[in-house]
Amino acid sequence: MFFHILVSKLIKDVEGTCSGRHGFVVAITGVEDIGKGLIREGTGYVTFPVKYQCVVFRPFKGEILEAVVTMVNKMGFFAEAGPVQIFVSNHLIPDDMEFQSGDVPNYTTSDGSVKIQKDSEVRLKIIGTRVDATEIFCIGTIKDDFLGVINDPGAAV
Amino acid sequence: MARRGRDDDDDEVEEEEEYEEEAYGLDDEDEDDYEEEARGAGKASRSRGGSGGGGRGGRKRSREDNFIDDSAIEDDEEDDDHEDGGGRPKKKGGGGVRGFFDEEAQVDEDEEEEDEGEGEDDFINDAGADIPDEDVVRVSRHRSMPMRDEEEDIDEIERQVRERYARSSHIEYGEETAEVEQQALLPSVKDPKLWMVKCAIGHERETAICLMQKFIDRQDLQIKSVVALDHLKNYIYVEAEKEAHVREACKGLRNIYSSAKITLVPIKEMADVLSVESKSVDLSRDAWVRMKLGIYKGDLAKVVDVDNVRQRVTVKLIPRIDLQALSSKLEGREVVKKKAFIPPPRFFNIDEAREMHIRVERRRDKDSGEYFEMIDGLMFKDGFLYKTVSIKSISTQNIQPSFDELEKFRKPGDDMNGDMSSLSTLFSNRKKGHFMKGDAVIVIKGDLKNLEGWVEKVEDETVHIRPKISDLPKTLVFNEKELCKYFKPGDHVKVVSGVQDGATGMVVKVEGHVLIILSDTTKEHIRVFADHVVESSEITTGITRIGDYELHDLVVLDNLSFGVIIRVETEAFQVLKGAPDRPEVVLVKLREIKSKIDRRTSAKDRSNNMISAKDVVRVVEGSCKGKQGPVEHIHKGILFIYDRHHLEHAGFICAKAQSCLLVGGSTAGRHGNGMDTSDPRLGALRSPASILQSPGRLPPRGPHMNYGGRFGGGGHGGRGHDALVGKCIKIKSGPYKGYRGRVKEVTGGLVRVELDSLMKIVTVKRDDIADTPTVATPLREPRYSLGGETPMHPSRTPLHPFQTPMRDPGATPIHDGMRTPMRARAWAPMSPPRDNWEEGNPATWGSSPAYQPGTPPARPFEAPTPGSGWANTPGVSYNDAPTPRESSYGNTPSPYVPSTPVGQPMTPNSASYLPGTPGGQPMTPGNVGMDIMSPIIGGEGEGNWLLPDVLVNVLRAGNDGPGVVREVLADGSCRVAVGSSGNGDIVTVLPNDVEVVRPKKSDKVKIMNGNFRGYNGKLIGIDGSDGIVKLDDTYEVKILDMVILAKLAS
Repeated sequence: MFFHILVSKLIKDVEGTCSGRHGFVVAITGVEDIGKGLIREGTGYVTFPVKYQCVVFRPFKGEILEAVVTMVNKMGFFAEAGPVQIFVSNHLIPDDMEFQSGDVPNYTTSDGSVKIQKDSEVRLKIIGTRVDATEIFCIGTIKDDFLGVINDPGAAV
Repeated sequence: MARRGRDDDDDEVEEEEEYEEEAYGLDDEDEDDYEEEARGAGKASRSRGGSGGGGRGGRKRSREDNFIDDSAIEDDEEDDDHEDGGGRPKKKGGGGVRGFFDEEAQVDEDEEEEDEGEGEDDFINDAGADIPDEDVVRVSRHRSMPMRDEEEDIDEIERQVRERYARSSHIEYGEETAEVEQQALLPSVKDPKLWMVKCAIGHERETAICLMQKFIDRQDLQIKSVVALDHLKNYIYVEAEKEAHVREACKGLRNIYSSAKITLVPIKEMADVLSVESKSVDLSRDAWVRMKLGIYKGDLAKVVDVDNVRQRVTVKLIPRIDLQALSSKLEGREVVKKKAFIPPPRFFNIDEAREMHIRVERRRDKDSGEYFEMIDGLMFKDGFLYKTVSIKSISTQNIQPSFDELEKFRKPGDDMNGDMSSLSTLFSNRKKGHFMKGDAVIVIKGDLKNLEGWVEKVEDETVHIRPKISDLPKTLVFNEKELCKYFKPGDHVKVVSGVQDGATGMVVKVEGHVLIILSDTTKEHIRVFADHVVESSEITTGITRIGDYELHDLVVLDNLSFGVIIRVETEAFQVLKGAPDRPEVVLVKLREIKSKIDRRTSAKDRSNNMISAKDVVRVVEGSCKGKQGPVEHIHKGILFIYDRHHLEHAGFICAKAQSCLLVGGSTAGRHGNGMDTSDPRLGALRSPASILQSPGRLPPRGPHMNYGGRFGGGGHGGRGHDALVGKCIKIKSGPYKGYRGRVKEVTGGLVRVELDSLMKIVTVKRDDIADTPTVATPLREPRYSLGGETPMHPSRTPLHPFQTPMRDPGATPIHDGMRTPMRARAWAPMSPPRDNWEEGNPATWGSSPAYQPGTPPARPFEAPTPGSGWANTPGVSYNDAPTPRESSYGNTPSPYVPSTPVGQPMTPNSASYLPGTPGGQPMTPGNVGMDIMSPIIGGEGEGNWLLPDVLVNVLRAGNDGPGVVREVLADGSCRVAVGSSGNGDIVTVLPNDVEVVRPKKSDKVKIMNGNFRGYNGKLIGIDGSDGIVKLDDTYEVKILDMVILAKLAS
C-alpha cells in the first residue's frame, strides 16, 4: 500500500515533466529502489529517495521527427511531436510554398498540390533546440529532401 | 585674383624649395604631390592632391588649407567659403625673412581668415546644411554638375580658370617623396626647438600674428616660427633655438604674461604637435555616415562621392521634403517657415511633384554621366536626395545603421551582403574583443573569401583562425576586418549590440552576414547582423525595463487608457491596450506612460466567480474565444490573460471578465459567498434576512429578530475571529486569494494576516479567510451558516466545545486586548453591569450559575459586534448572539446540550427588555455598567460608541438633520447640538436615533472603536470598506474599517 502511494505520487510528480538533461519524462516503467525515508523536521513530511526507470523524450539536433501542425501563421508554423513544440520558420519552408491567410491559414505550393495547415502531419528535421527548465522548444526545417507533409487532412476531405 | 594667385604660386614654389632645404618638415606620413608645401606647413595633407583646389585659390589659400588640415579645426566650412570667394592677395615679406615668413604667413592667413570669416560664419553654416539649394549651387561651381542658368556663365569661367591653375600647380608639385626622405625631415637635436608658451585664452591666433608683426618690425628676433593651433586653447608654439629667444620675442606682448611658463616640447613630440590624424581619411564611397546638422540631423546617409580637397562629400539621403512648401516657394508664395516641423523622410516621387506643378528638370551630371532630377537646386535620383555637404557636417564614427534604415537604402534586388563597403563601415564600429577564441568565423575579403574557420587567437587587429578545410595550414592570420562571425541555423544566440541588443533567439536562417533569429520571447523573427550576436545559451527578452516600468506591467497611458507592456524596445514600449474587442497595440514612449497599476483587484467572471490574478480562466466569447491561461492583470473588469500558446502580443490576451470563465470555478457555488464577502457591512445588513429565514429556530425571539439579525450578523463575524488570532488561515477570496498566513490581529471586520509566502502583513476582510484544514473551523462556521447553509452547522457543532474554553474568561488573553477585560468584568459577579443584568433577570443568572463560566463565550462574540457598526444596542445583541449558538446546540444532540440553558436564560432576559424599548433600552444597562466600570473599556465596547464632537445625523422625528454630539450620557443616549456646526439647540437623543456621518476623504475623523478608539485623525483615503487614517497624534497611518470612523464636527 505504501509502495503504491509512493509510486502514484512519483508518477504524479514526475510524468510529463521536462528536464534539460533528459528531456520529457513520458512514462515511468519501473521503480527500482525506494530508499529510507527522511522525516522533514517540523512538517511531518517524509522524503524518500526513489530510483526509477522511465521513458524519456528528448529531441536532438538533426533528428527527423514527425509532427502535427498546430498553428500556422505568416512567420511559419508550429507543430507538436508529443510534448515538444517545434517551430518551422517560413525561411525553412521550401520557397515555393507561400503563406495563404484566411480562415484556415496555410502554406501552399504554387500549384496547390501540397498544403500545410492545422492538423497536417509533417516530417521535419530539428535544427535547433532550446531547453528551458520546464520546456523544450525546437526549430525545425522542412526545406530538405524527403521532408514535408506526410498526411494532409485537407486532401482527405 | 586668380591671376594673382598664379603669380603667388610661382613665388611659392621658390619659397617652398628654399624651405625644404631647411628640412623643416615635421611630418612623416605623407607621400603626396604637395609634400613640400605640406611639410613646410608642418603637416601632411593628401587632400591637396589631384583636385587642384590648392592652386585655385592662390597660394595663400593653399597655405591656409594646409594649416587648417593640420590643426584639424572643426569649422572647416569657412574654408569652403573662402574658396568660393577666391584667394586673397598674399602678403609678402622681405626676401631675407622668407623662410620664416612662410610660416608666419600661414598663421597670419589663418588669423585673417578668421576675422574675415566671422561675419559670414552663420551664413556658411546655413549654406552647409540648412539650405540645400545653396549647396547645390556650390557644387555646380566646383564641379561640372548641372547648374542654374544664370550662374552658368560665371561659374563656368571660374571653373575653367581654376582648373587651369590647378593643373599647373599639379605639375609643379607632382613629385613623389620617399619615406626615407620623410624620416630625414623629422626634427633632430640640431634643429630649433619648439616651445610651448601660455597665452591669454582665446587670443592664440592674435598672439601669433603679433609675434609675426614683431618679427617683421624687429630683425633681431631669433624665433623661427609661431604656431597657433585651433584645437589647443591657451597655448601657442614658438620655434626657436633657445628659451631666451622665446622670452625675448614674447616680451611686451599683451597676451602673454611675462611670468608665463615656457615649456620645451620634446623632440619626439614635435611632429605630433603639428600633425593631426585626419579622421576623414577612411571616409570612402558607400560608407555609412550620419548627418550632423539641419533637418537631416541624425539621418543615415550613404557616401556617394568624396572630395577630399574641398572637404566635401556627396551623400545619398532619404529626402525630407515638404512638397507643399516647396511648390509654394517655387510659385513665389510666402513660405511660413516652421522650425518645429520636420518633414518625415520619404522617397521622392517625381510624379507627385509634377502633380503639384513643381518643375522637374532632368539633367546629366557631367562627371558621372548619371541623370538627376533637379528641383529648385535639389538633386534627386531613384527617390534619394543627393546632397553635397562639408565633411565636417557629417559624422563618420560609430555609425550603427539599424536594419530598418539599411533596408530603406537597399534597392530592390540589391544584395546586402554584396555590399562590402557598407559592411566595412559596420566593422569599423566593432567593439574591442569582438572575436573570441572558439568563435566560428568566415572570411569575407581577399583570396580566401568564404573560408570558414574558428578563432584560435586574437592579437589586436589580427586574428588567427583554424580553417575548417583540413588541407590548409593549421592556422591562418587575418585582419579582423576580413572576418565576420558565422552562425549556423539552429544556433542559439544573443544579440549584443544594435537595436535588438539583449534579445536571444535561435538562428533560423543565415543570409550571408545577416541572421534571421526567432526570438525566444516574442517568437518573432528578428534580423540582425552576424556581427552583432554571440552564441549563448542564455534566454532573455532583451531589455525588460525602462524607468519604473517593466515588461508585463499594467500601466495607465496618457489618455487614461491602460494596457500591458508586451515589449520593451530601446526607447519605447509596446503596450497591448485594454480594449477587449480587438487587440490594439500601441507604441508608447516612457513619458507617455502615466503610472503603473499595482493594485490587486478582482473581477467576476461570467458565472460570478471571483477572479483574481493568477487564476486560470478560459475565454468563452469574443475574438479570443477558446484561449486559456492565467490572469496576469485585472483592471476595470478587463482581464489580461497570458496564454503560452498565443503568439501575438507576447502571449497576452485582453478580454472582458464577463466573457471569461474561471477554470475550475463552479457556475454558482461561490456566488453567494462572493457577495457576502464583498462588504462586511453588506453582510451585516443582509444577515437579518438570513435570520428571518430561520425563524423556526428562535421562535421566542421573533420580535427581536431585526435587531438580532443586524447585530448577529456582525457578531458572527466578530465571533470566533478573536480566537483566530495566531491561527493559520487561508484566504479564500479577494486579491490575496489562495495565500496562506497567520492571523495577527482581528479588528472589526478586518483581519490582519501575515502571509507565509509574501513576508508581509495584509489586511483582509474576515469573510475572505478560511481556516486551513488543520485548524478547527467551527468558530467561523456560524458565519457561513447564515441562511441556507445552516444545515452544515450541526455537524460542526460537536467541535464547538473544544473551542469554548478559548472563549472562557480564563482564555481571555486570546481575545483582543482591550475588549477582553471588559467582557470578563462585565460579567464578573461583582461588576455593576452584571448587577444590572441580574436585576433584569436575576433568575437567569441564578438558575444557571453552573453555566455562568460558560456564558461569557457568548459575550466575546458579542463584544465585537459593535465593531460592525451596529453595536449601539448591545443588549439586543445579547439576545441575538446566542441565537446561532443556541440553534446549533439545539440542533445538535451533543453532550453539550446542557449549555443550551445558557441561551435560554437569556431569552427571557432579552424578552423582558423588549417590551420597554425594543432597541435602545436593552442595551442601556450594559452601557451603564461598562461606563461605570471603566470608561475606556466601555468605549471600546459595544454600547458607548458615540463620542463627543462627532458629527451625526439625528433621525428622530422633528429633529431630523445634522448635529454634533456634545456629551454621551451614561445611559447611552447623548446630547446632541443640532446643526452641522453644533450651534443649535441641544437635544437628548437615544443612540438609535442618531447615525454617524460617514466621513469623506480628507475629512477629520474620530475613531469610534478598536484600539484607537477616541483618537482623532484624518481620513486620507478610502479603499473599499477600509479607510486609511492618519492619526493626528502620532502621524501613523492606519487602515480601519469605515464603520468605526465618524466624521468630526468642524
